[in-house]
Amino acid sequence: MELREFFSEDVINLDLQGETKDSILKELITLLALNEKSEGILYKMLKRRENLGSTGIGRGIAIPHCRSLVVNRLRVAFGRKKTAVDFKAIDDRPVSYFFLIVAPPLEVSNQYLPVLGKIAQLCREADVPDRLAKIESPAEFLELLDEKSV
Amino acid sequence: MHPQLEILLELQDLKAQKREMEEAAEESSREIERKVFRVEPEDAIAQLQAKIEEMEATLEPEVMSRYGPIAQARERAVTPVLDGLCYGCFMAMPTATVRTNEELRWCENCGSFVYYVD
Repeated sequence: MELREFFSEDVINLDLQGETKDSILKELITLLALNEKSEGILYKMLKRRENLGSTGIGRGIAIPHCRSLVVNRLRVAFGRKKTAVDFKAIDDRPVSYFFLIVAPPLEVSNQYLPVLGKIAQLCREADVPDRLAKIESPAEFLELLDEKSV
Repeated sequence: MHPQLEILLELQDLKAQKREMEEAAEESSREIERKVFRVEPEDAIAQLQAKIEEMEATLEPEVMSRYGPIAQARERAVTPVLDGLCYGCFMAMPTATVRTNEELRWCENCGSFVYYVD
């Protein structure tokens, strides 16, 4: 199982417009193309997870994540904000790169934790923040995942 | 969506999150949260439990009377319905059942509240 399998061009937004943590979360959720009610429930769950501690892991990267019944399979998305926003990250630096992960509570294939772990592993690689900054299209993001083979 | 179903869904998601924080296995969510995100599991569990209790108090008495025993007996008091199957007991929902989340419904076989996933 590799991360590349879970991403497609339609869940990548390289020009997020939000200026706050909350608006960025909402914008990321829209990439999953859920109905309005499900979007609202998912937003509340992501906020509750953020209240336990920021998912900003440092170096300009955040991994908002939760389990929710509003999805019927593991869903991921990636967003980039050109001017970084305050996300209360653990290193106090603003965040530009956002990996969203959502999975149903009952997940037969058990992919949630491995995918969360693989994204964390990818984000620890020294060159990743710079590479994410230079990407010019969703296709290039997918190529980066291919290249990293995480 | 029925307002009480919305609360039940949120409760289910909160309980799933809390359950994962309680799992002590090496490759568990608890360990990822602790190591990668520096979340203190015991604090998180206490916060989640407080929120669960706060939300359970907003359930209407007739909903609580069904939810309470089910929630005590098993992990999932609300189950998704996918392709006509209740994912609580994997029995088919009656074909005459209208697929809607606007009303509060439950599986006649296992008793779980059901949520129709798009």
